[in-house]
Amino acid sequence: MKQNRMVNILFVAPCIFAFVMIIIIPFFFGLYFSMTDWNGINNAANFVGFNNFRNLLSTPDFLYSFLITIAYTILSIVFVNIVSFTLALIVTSKLRRRNFYRAGFFVPYLIGGIVLGYIWQFLLNNILVGIGNSLAITALQTSFLSLPNSVIWTMAVVNTWQYAGYIMLIYVASIQSIPASLMEAASVDGASYVSRVFHILIPMMANAFTISLFLTLTTSFKQFDMNLTLTNGGPATRFLDVPVKASQLLAMNIFSTATANRMAEAQAKAVVLFIALLVVSLLQVSINKKKEVEM
Amino acid sequence: MRKTVLKVLAVGVLLAALPLSVFGAGKPEESKDVTVNMFQLKVEIKDAIDGYAAKYSAATPGVTVRVETLGGGGDYGGAMKAKAQAGQMPDIFMIEGRGGYDIWKDYIADLSGEAWVKDTDLAFMVDGKVVGFPVAIEGYGMAYNAEILQKAGIDPATLTTRAAYESALKILDSKKAELGIDAPVAMAASVAGGMWWVAGQHNLAAYWGGGLGFNDTSIIEKALKGQLDDARFLEYAKYVQLLFKYADKKILLNGSYDDQVGSFAQGRTAFLHQGNWVDPNLKQLGVSFKIGYAPHAFLTKEQKGLYLFAPSWYCVNTKSPNAAAAKAFLTSIATTSDGHDYMVNQAGMIPAFKSVTLKPSGQLSQALMAANAKGGNYGVFFGMLPDGAGQNVFGPIFDLFAQNPDNLDQFIADMKRAVANLPKM
Repeated sequence: MKQNRMVNILFVAPCIFAFVMIIIIPFFFGLYFSMTDWNGINNAANFVGFNNFRNLLSTPDFLYSFLITIAYTILSIVFVNIVSFTLALIVTSKLRRRNFYRAGFFVPYLIGGIVLGYIWQFLLNNILVGIGNSLAITALQTSFLSLPNSVIWTMAVVNTWQYAGYIMLIYVASIQSIPASLMEAASVDGASYVSRVFHILIPMMANAFTISLFLTLTTSFKQFDMNLTLTNGGPATRFLDVPVKASQLLAMNIFSTATANRMAEAQAKAVVLFIALLVVSLLQVSINKKKEVEM
Repeated sequence: MRKTVLKVLAVGVLLAALPLSVFGAGKPEESKDVTVNMFQLKVEIKDAIDGYAAKYSAATPGVTVRVETLGGGGDYGGAMKAKAQAGQMPDIFMIEGRGGYDIWKDYIADLSGEAWVKDTDLAFMVDGKVVGFPVAIEGYGMAYNAEILQKAGIDPATLTTRAAYESALKILDSKKAELGIDAPVAMAASVAGGMWWVAGQHNLAAYWGGGLGFNDTSIIEKALKGQLDDARFLEYAKYVQLLFKYADKKILLNGSYDDQVGSFAQGRTAFLHQGNWVDPNLKQLGVSFKIGYAPHAFLTKEQKGLYLFAPSWYCVNTKSPNAAAAKAFLTSIATTSDGHDYMVNQAGMIPAFKSVTLKPSGQLSQALMAANAKGGNYGVFFGMLPDGAGQNVFGPIFDLFAQNPDNLDQFIADMKRAVANLPKM
């Protein structure tokens, strides 16, 4: 027995080593650098305490990015989960070729975010505008990506197109794990399809909602690749009377701060992102957990 | 029992092998020959510089020059930082201006004594010392399609004041259908298309240096202290307004580089706000019409010069034991006929050295080289701005102005505030 434990430890050791070197140590380095004036090269960084964090509060572009990241996350969570749950209901019904649809809805998830961003940029900037021009539909003649007030809606829709298929699979698995007898009994008792979904399916699937909401929350909050290629942060808009980039989410704001050689400031922003994400996702999981039922 | 012993052994061997494979990999082979490592970011000249490095290595016993190119618009600054942190700092590297110099100054060698210094006006100088080898001359003005202008009855030689531009753009706009163009100007200013640099860097450079002496940095020095020259900026803002009003709206607000250059190449716009680096793109797009450069004449008084600059400089790593060999390699580019052939014919660049007699093939490059020979051009000083000023501060301001070009006062107020914040950046 004792030797088995030894073996276990040895097998786990490479993973622990990698985890410590790649996640744990850089994390604490990051915390430290967020309180310095480090520029990325000079190892002799000066300790400046919480100055970087205090400055963030008076940086309009950061505040704006923070707010629209929250707005984008809410939109994404709502869109993705409603669409994927509906798709899950459809592909678990008695529809013909449901396996084909299941695969079809999942395919967008296999396209990388960078490629996907460019594809949708082309669709929105060229194809839709082209259709608008040839059919003289004024609403389509300006690209949806050039409307500062609604650009994050467009991003949320594109994100839904990509992500709904993946979340759908989680819902499908969960629906299939519910005993058919439960639904049949309710149907014999005269419950309509809608009341069966709302009173049996959804309560029984609470654990699937926990994981799906968690996944959509964290991925939307950290959204970067699609943001970079689809909108590049544009167009510009005005916030607190300062021109800012209308669709620059937090991760991209951190990226453009870092590429302007303001490493410590970028690191402070990253710490804020981490804390915000931690708090929100812990809250979400603990609320969702209370709604779960044991079989 | 034996099985567990075997297991422990197997895992032990694996664990022992892990650090060996990690730390054993990076050791260079010992040799007396010198290897000069160069790290550069111009993907378009990769084959040319690789070829020249191989030729130089073959001709110079004991010296091997190895060039690493960062491909596909990668993050050069980030890659350099990674190399520096890993102790693999290259012997020759590139900077793109004052921002880069400030970061790497501990590593940058003094090149004042090199033979090529007297042969160029564009070396990177700090406190009277030469520290950077100019990679090439780049430059821009307002590129025009000579055939369209001729059909519209406009003589490009007259485009030397803002008023002349205004009347020319009005004529072009009124004859759009007749000339087969969508709009008079292909201008890009959008954050979305990644084109902040055309407006917030290259166009704004007209305000920093236009109409002044080639090395006159007074306007930008003032801006770095937080001040805008109100009268001059008003003239500049009116010029930007003019360009934005007569620009193709789709390209202006959302277009990418390809959209902008493509529209001009297909004859759907008469003017293109781009530099000589579009020559290869125009060639690829099969452009056969005649092209020239008109100045960005934003003042009421006459302006005739183009904007010339060295976009990047090679620096020698002063902490490297191979610094002397690295310096010799750079000197060979500037002073030997093979080096000249590499710059002009292989890499398609305009050399910053006066002794070069070869001619580039692109129409815009030829126009620039002619302008360089004629003199009276303007310097480009946006490299003196703090990092990120163009992309994160001026970019959104120009984008907003492009969305609503009638709001001149707002544009001026935004720029005034942005410049006032420059000292704090």
